[in-house]
Amino acid sequence: MKSINRFIYTNPKNVGLNTIFNRKKPAASVEVMGMVFFIFLWCILSYFIFAKEGSEHLRGFLPLPTFKALVDYLTRGNFWLSAWASCRRVFLGIFLASVVGVPLGIIIGYYPVIRKFTYSPIQFIRMISPLSWMPVALLLFASFESAVSFLIVMACVCPILLNTAIGVLNVNPQWVRMAMNQGAGHIQLIRTIIIPHSIPYMLTSIRLALGIAWIVLVPAEFLGVSSGLGYLINDARDTMEYDRLMAMIIAIGIIGYTLDRILQRIQRIFSWTWAE
Amino acid sequence: MNFHSIPINRRKFLKTAAAGLSGIVAPSMLNAKYSTSPLSIGYLPITDSAPLLIAYALGYFSQEGVVIDRPVMVRSWKVLTESFLTGKFDITHMLFPIPVWMRLKHKFPVKVLAWNHTNGSAITVKGGSGINGFKDLKGKQIAVPSWYSMHNLLLQLGIKQMGLRPVIKSQSSKLGKNEVNLFILSPPEMPSALLGNKIDGFIVAEPFNALAELKLKARIMRFSGDMWKDHPCCVVVCNENLIRNYSLSVQKAVNAIVKAQIWLTSNPKEAAFLLSRDGEGFLPVSKGVLEQVFDDPADSELKHPEWGVSRIGFQPYPYPSATRFIIEQMKETVVEGDTSFLDNVDPVAATEELVDDSFVLKAINEIEGVGKPFLREETIEIN
Repeated sequence: MKSINRFIYTNPKNVGLNTIFNRKKPAASVEVMGMVFFIFLWCILSYFIFAKEGSEHLRGFLPLPTFKALVDYLTRGNFWLSAWASCRRVFLGIFLASVVGVPLGIIIGYYPVIRKFTYSPIQFIRMISPLSWMPVALLLFASFESAVSFLIVMACVCPILLNTAIGVLNVNPQWVRMAMNQGAGHIQLIRTIIIPHSIPYMLTSIRLALGIAWIVLVPAEFLGVSSGLGYLINDARDTMEYDRLMAMIIAIGIIGYTLDRILQRIQRIFSWTWAE
Repeated sequence: MNFHSIPINRRKFLKTAAAGLSGIVAPSMLNAKYSTSPLSIGYLPITDSAPLLIAYALGYFSQEGVVIDRPVMVRSWKVLTESFLTGKFDITHMLFPIPVWMRLKHKFPVKVLAWNHTNGSAITVKGGSGINGFKDLKGKQIAVPSWYSMHNLLLQLGIKQMGLRPVIKSQSSKLGKNEVNLFILSPPEMPSALLGNKIDGFIVAEPFNALAELKLKARIMRFSGDMWKDHPCCVVVCNENLIRNYSLSVQKAVNAIVKAQIWLTSNPKEAAFLLSRDGEGFLPVSKGVLEQVFDDPADSELKHPEWGVSRIGFQPYPYPSATRFIIEQMKETVVEGDTSFLDNVDPVAATEELVDDSFVLKAINEIEGVGKPFLREETIEIN
């Protein structure tokens, strides 16, 4: 019995629409061009918005002051300390969210009864802005640091959980039937078929969570912590130094991009293993 | 520059020694009214927090023998109150109306220990605007940092004095003749909103007025201390349980804060440097902005130069006359939300319930350098 999936995914780069459009692999230069286009767009737009008469105090949003501020930051220990502090919070938050979200997602995806049972609570919690948990976070946790991590966990756990569940739901039913036919139990089924198949989905969910974590980080660092990129953004807003604010946005962008790239690589490795 | 040089004379030495001794003996005598775990202090990045920060930075707390962690900065009144309510902070500064609201509406056992500072706010308008007094605010949009704030109270006091009516409407709705529209805006957003013509003015604590002055060439329409002479703004608060369990620690902390206020009054330049990011980095702003705040305004900028008020002043004693006036005014002040809790409040009894001045009285009597008139007449004149 030959599965359709097997045919499509012989080359993991040919996932989805790529099988149709992606006969030839686009050159790496296309990606660079995208970046250049984006910077060009920023120059043009910011010029039209901020360079006009009467918005002198907003000139910090223009590319040149931003890069000056960024270079200035890169030479300071304070910045690196903050970058590390923010990364640590993001990693810890995502790690904890995965520890909760992935197993729950597998169980919810696997057992239809649990899926029905948890549907409404999860949809409910998913819609709540993580920042409205702030008073709860302050009440539950002794330190501000753990309160910040809690907010990130609250923001990331639902996307991780739902994506993992979707991964489980998308397992080729023929594989499951085949395994059951040969006498596989639930545990065995989950271990040998469900989990390996869902790994790409889990990694996608973590990539999604990464973006959400950075979004939550800035307001979460309103709380009593004394370092972090979000903290520096708040500082810049408090003192109306918008070049510093933009520099921090760029820094977060670069860090986020790098982390996403790393995850993408890992994802690629895993799509090979299960497809082989 | 050495900020720790405090002239030591014999009397002072004896006093310090005595204080130190009492610190050693007291715990066993007074049922351990002394907290051994460090107390925490929370603050916002505004100059209102100066006494708490200076008391820490100059080591006044440790000199008194009370262990305090480095003060923790949060970014909004909401987070500060929430952190205080959930016990994250033992001692903090708060705009006077906040503890009034906490105590009288929510029955939270908060106690006002002392005044943290006086004045320290201003109404700022665009440099080229024709707004010179409260009567010019007719039909304008003015931003306040929070409904339960001295700023909202003072602004409405001024507006009403001119026969205008403060209202809270959506920005797009048409304002009636004689109406002034108020709304909430977070302080960092205020200067930009002013320049972008979203608002016609704002009232807020320093250093945001100084920042708008220096960066955007905005103009101060009125210093708050120029409306109500040496009015209270932020007060030092703690939980009543802290007083019950660790009264000795509270006394020592209040002593340190009073000392810091004395130092601040005579060392404005050093204070500006120490608090700024060029110094100890307690506040994110540069030294220059803070110097503007700690510098007293020129007579030409004041309506009442004869009052001799500072842009920000430091005076610890919580005059009951001022507290009563604030509670009376809160009844008259328009805010969003339910204010029925104020209807049956007796200002005199509420002042008793809210303020515990025993610690600050003891500190004032023991520490040299604080004025001792315990009565004053509130001078309020708006024009």
